[in-house]
Amino acid sequence: MPPRRGMVIAALSFVALALLSVPLTRSAEGQVLQGEYKIGVLEPLTGPLAFEGKRHLEGYEIMRDMINERGGVMGKKLTFVVGDAVDPTAAASEANRLITREGVKIITGTYSSTLCGAASEAASRQNVIYWESSCVDPRFSRRGLKNVFRTEIDGTGFGWYNVEFIAKHLAPRFNMKPGQIKIAFLSEDSSYGQGVTEAARDRAKKEFGMQEVAMEYYAFASTNDFSPIVAKLKQVNPDVIHHIARGNDAVLFWRQSREQNFMFKALVHAGATGYGSPDFGKALGVEGNGPFVLAEPSAGLRLEAFRPEAQKLEHDFTEAVKKRAGTEPYASHRLAGAGLWLLKLVLDQAKTDELEKFRSAVMSLDMPVGSTLNGWGVKFAESGQNANERVQHYMLQWQNGQMVTVWPEEFSTLRAKWIPLGPWDQRK
Amino acid sequence: MGAVPQLIVSTVLLGGIYALIAVGLTLIFGIMRVVNFAHGEFLMLGMYLAFWSFTLWGLDPYVILLVAVPIFFGIGLLTYALVMRGVVKASHNVQIFTTVGLSTALQNAALVAFTGDFRFVRPWHSAVVIRVGDAAFNLSQVVAFLVAVLFTAALVAFMKWTRAGRIMRATAQDVEAATLMGIDTDRVYRLAWAIGLVCVGIAGVLMSPLYSVYPTAGLQFVLLAYVVVVLGGLGDMMGALIGSLIVAGVEVIGSYVFGSAWKEVIYFVLFIAVLVFRPAGLFGQRGAETLGA
Amino acid sequence: MRRDLPALVLFGASALAPLTIHDGFLLDSLILILLWGAVSSAWNIAGGYAGQVSLGHSAFFGLGAYSAALLATRWNQSPWLGLLVGAALATVAGLVIGYLANRLKGPYFGLATIAFSQVLLILASRWRAVTSGSEGIPVPFRPGLWTLGFSSKVPWVYLVLTLAVGVYLISRYLETSRPGYQLAGVREDEDAAEALGIPCRRLKVTAIAASAAVTSVCGGLWAQYVGFVDPFYVFSVDLSVRFALNSIIGGIGTAIGPFVGSLLITSLEIYLRATFSDFKAGLVGIYLIIYGCLLIVVVRFVPQGLVGWIGERARAMGRYARA
Repeated sequence: MPPRRGMVIAALSFVALALLSVPLTRSAEGQVLQGEYKIGVLEPLTGPLAFEGKRHLEGYEIMRDMINERGGVMGKKLTFVVGDAVDPTAAASEANRLITREGVKIITGTYSSTLCGAASEAASRQNVIYWESSCVDPRFSRRGLKNVFRTEIDGTGFGWYNVEFIAKHLAPRFNMKPGQIKIAFLSEDSSYGQGVTEAARDRAKKEFGMQEVAMEYYAFASTNDFSPIVAKLKQVNPDVIHHIARGNDAVLFWRQSREQNFMFKALVHAGATGYGSPDFGKALGVEGNGPFVLAEPSAGLRLEAFRPEAQKLEHDFTEAVKKRAGTEPYASHRLAGAGLWLLKLVLDQAKTDELEKFRSAVMSLDMPVGSTLNGWGVKFAESGQNANERVQHYMLQWQNGQMVTVWPEEFSTLRAKWIPLGPWDQRK
Repeated sequence: MGAVPQLIVSTVLLGGIYALIAVGLTLIFGIMRVVNFAHGEFLMLGMYLAFWSFTLWGLDPYVILLVAVPIFFGIGLLTYALVMRGVVKASHNVQIFTTVGLSTALQNAALVAFTGDFRFVRPWHSAVVIRVGDAAFNLSQVVAFLVAVLFTAALVAFMKWTRAGRIMRATAQDVEAATLMGIDTDRVYRLAWAIGLVCVGIAGVLMSPLYSVYPTAGLQFVLLAYVVVVLGGLGDMMGALIGSLIVAGVEVIGSYVFGSAWKEVIYFVLFIAVLVFRPAGLFGQRGAETLGA
Repeated sequence: MRRDLPALVLFGASALAPLTIHDGFLLDSLILILLWGAVSSAWNIAGGYAGQVSLGHSAFFGLGAYSAALLATRWNQSPWLGLLVGAALATVAGLVIGYLANRLKGPYFGLATIAFSQVLLILASRWRAVTSGSEGIPVPFRPGLWTLGFSSKVPWVYLVLTLAVGVYLISRYLETSRPGYQLAGVREDEDAAEALGIPCRRLKVTAIAASAAVTSVCGGLWAQYVGFVDPFYVFSVDLSVRFALNSIIGGIGTAIGPFVGSLLITSLEIYLRATFSDFKAGLVGIYLIIYGCLLIVVVRFVPQGLVGWIGERARAMGRYARA
């Protein structure tokens, strides 16, 4: 290579590196401007999870404003600096950026199980507190990391609650013992679907001896026709279908089951996607009557069962979401809101973000179910995981185009219908 | 035994949908020798076109179909002029990455403009069920299938019997000879590109009642379309239709027999097998793949 | 020696950086630039030097990432061992795909490689017993050299730099050695090379296997650095495209090209993401639109890559100056 070209390239590389540092080198700002406390928020704002990440962020922002109306955190105004965690590399990288450039001491987020792993790793290596409010991967809180906390239920909890409902509420009403129930598992195959389904399968078999007659995973993105699956399921004649759906697959499956006159006694799902999305009702209207969804509460919630402060919180939050987003709060709003509120409680108690004191404040929180937003209680284990039993989840059912809260019965004004499901055209 | 009629019906209807996507791809691939990575994004745009028309003006997708043809033809001409013309004669890498760049830009433009929410188009016919014996199917699926077949037939006729079609086929066979014969290859490519986009755009409109609409919706179909296209033989329309049926059949029967978890493995393995043993596809000319460079 | 000057500058500056820069974010950016540069350079062995443009290299990256993660979590072995195991597996995979796809050219080859990476994706996301399925694998952080656990960024910089230099040297070897020249012959005109008695198939398959092995080592290191292996990410087509992209933009078939490409693309991406993240959430995707358009423009007007383009400019300047 002639010397000139080499020199030019060398020079350009140098210039590039120098230029890189110029815009990126601002003096790392001090953590606190007078009267403000800044935390980092990591969400997938681009890419396939973007719409959920956006809602999660919205929930955070709404709760942040509510918190600032109620004295802020540690007496200071709570502010955010946001990072886009589109994939694991970006999650780690953005976490780094928020810590080193923005100087945050606490990072929260991150919606998805695959992102929270990378983000929390990055945070813990720099001794920054990681406050997760949404991802459900069970292994998240089993890594022995002292600075990692999660307010939301552990993924095994969803499966746990579902099976609880099937065994304790549905089985007696079918006049069957739990061990006699034939259960078919159907699920989309992302980390969420697999996590919930495996936990449910485990409990169904080990604790109740239910008979598993089918187990089908499918790729949500490329499954556009459930008829082969419906045909197969018809042949094994399940009593209950445990279907974890992600989006339109719920509508498709339900519709095609109806088209093929596939009869079963109940269908149970968990989460805010698939059957848990308002879209299911929009798509099917009264034809969508029947499925049970484990989710955050909705219409029919008996607010009186909450403590007074929780009722006010619940009411204000719902109003704020309606005002800003024009809808009832989605689950992602609620998870973010509840998580951030708990963070405020901890910080107000610890009065610092220093790890030891923060941890003691976290461990000292002990509130029963019904104490805070969503009707949650709180009690953290040493692993940093909020106890599954305190993170109250509710079983909703689609009735007349709406998801209504039907279980646990002390928290709901309405009751479950069509147990077992009758002929397709008679569910009114 | 009761399941068999349903499986057959599902295969045929699914195959029709895949054919619609594949036909445009095989045309572009066959004539321009370009691997269009952005093909799925045009499908996605077709779906959004149907969605917004339905939501804002209450227009049924089948009405939109008529408008979609000129719209996508226009988009085809535009993207050809802006993006593709300069790279038609360039190396494969350049072509691949040009369309990859186009794909990224389009996906994110949709994300920014329309947000990432899953959208649905629910005209009256998406809930209409037709029952024949033991099999049940959906009116929207049937229409998609019929339109696919009609379109493919029309395209085949176009390619075989019209002058423009012959010119395009000649260019595909030997570009230099075509130029020597006075054919304006630039116009040929432009036409092929535009027609290819019309096909996939229409596919998007027809599929909007059947699938969720979201910015990365194209991804799930693009790879599948490539399996179909390679199986049927590059540039061969009938091959695309039959390849679609085969892939749909593999998918439907594979899901039924092995469980839906493994069906993609089945058709990817099928894909690799075809590429290894008969890369020209079932209907392509033997040895065509070595001319791919 | 002069030819290596840009590399000396780039790698030298990287080596000196941790001594003067203490900003974690900049060091993290440097590590990513070097890491993606190294993978792209590994891709370049097959894509640039052997002319086998693969769009499925994430298959090997993923194999490396999973090997490192599984050995560390399931069998409690050192991740260094995981790197070796990954390299071995990837070599086998590379031999397989190289052999199967041997007759395929151009887009067909690309498609075959994509299919291959997607098959691995499905296997990884379904084989729960071994890989934990779609839930992926969190990679534990255990401090120590043997366990590849460093809390500071500095050791990572040097580790990735060593890797980068290693791959660079392999590329240079291919430029100046006999097998390298033969490979160039295969790339330029396979029929002629065959006629000259060059063992084309053997060379191509070897190049792919070597490329695969190095790619997988990068994947293993990545897994340790980021801490979470998600099958839908490590086996994705997006990642495969990224590897090829850096090389193409920087200069395919040149040793320093992939690093120059990575420098440009990775820093642009990090910079744009940092700038746009605070905007109203819906607008954040703009940076990816810019990225896509940039790709179209660069690939069209500078198809020989940045390195090639600079070379031409420099030659032109030289001619002008002499006249």
